[in-house]
Amino acid sequence: MWLWFAKLGSPKWFYELSTKWLPWLTAAMVLTLGVATIWALLYLPPDYQQGYTSRILVVHVAVAGTSLAFFPLMAVAGTITLVWKMKLADMVAKNAAALGAWFSFITLATGSLWGSVSWGTWWEWSDSRLVSMLFQFFLLLGVVSLRSALEDSEKAAKACALLSIVGCINVVVIKYSVEWWNTLHQPASPVSMESGSANGPEFWIATALMILGVYLFLSVSLILSTRNEILQRERKALWVQELLADTKSGRG
Amino acid sequence: MDLISGIQFDSFAEFLDMGGYSFNVWAVYGLFVVFITVNLYVPVLRRKSLIRDLKRRQTLAEQAHGAEVNSAGRHKLEEAEGNS
Repeated sequence: MWLWFAKLGSPKWFYELSTKWLPWLTAAMVLTLGVATIWALLYLPPDYQQGYTSRILVVHVAVAGTSLAFFPLMAVAGTITLVWKMKLADMVAKNAAALGAWFSFITLATGSLWGSVSWGTWWEWSDSRLVSMLFQFFLLLGVVSLRSALEDSEKAAKACALLSIVGCINVVVIKYSVEWWNTLHQPASPVSMESGSANGPEFWIATALMILGVYLFLSVSLILSTRNEILQRERKALWVQELLADTKSGRG
Repeated sequence: MDLISGIQFDSFAEFLDMGGYSFNVWAVYGLFVVFITVNLYVPVLRRKSLIRDLKRRQTLAEQAHGAEVNSAGRHKLEEAEGNS
């Protein structure tokens, strides 16, 4: 168990394992996102109230739901950094913050594009779901700038870890905002087995597939940037030197 | 569901129109594609420039090391360092 844990934290081990996994993850991502997108755009029957704008929700729900994973992910990585000082955990946390900010932004933008039709407004300051998601976007930008503001990289890692743990509170607020406060943003529609209902099988299967695709995309993107971080931080290690000697420029 | 008859649109124009909400629907899918492409392509580009940079450093280090090992070169290296 402890040997496995120590191995997991080794950048070299992660780098070599991800080299093997990346092609498969990328293929699964392309396939899932491709099928989900074509399904949503071409085959989804128009909603009886929303018409074809329900196609927006497939993307919006998948990206929004996945965006909630970032603070818990960064909090776990941060805890590992604080307790065991594992280098790899901090490399993942660092790259997750910027990607999470992207996820939050796309959630807000797609939500606006849906709301402008269905609610007749792009934005509503009194809605707790909208405002807490905006807050998550700013918090993640805050984590990114905190890291670049602190010159001492060890101090920066600790500060970001703490902010990530505290930031998890906001995830709970986002999740339950639609139940605690009754405002514009509707709660998730219950999954229905009845074809043609608000969240019938046509809709939720497409959405489930899109969620899977978005999670695969998150993994591939995060693995790619973490591998760069490993090469950068471990550039003086023998295994990186050997790897570079075997690599033609820009390949491998 | 048949792959052809299951399609919700009778013509390509109808598909583009999205029941009158073409801007909103296509803006969302356009953003989605940009979002995914950028967050995959940027790390790939960064990797290329990083490897190029690290390999250049490696070559420079090897050259410096080579000069140092060379018995006559040791003096030269010191000279070169003194000049720079």
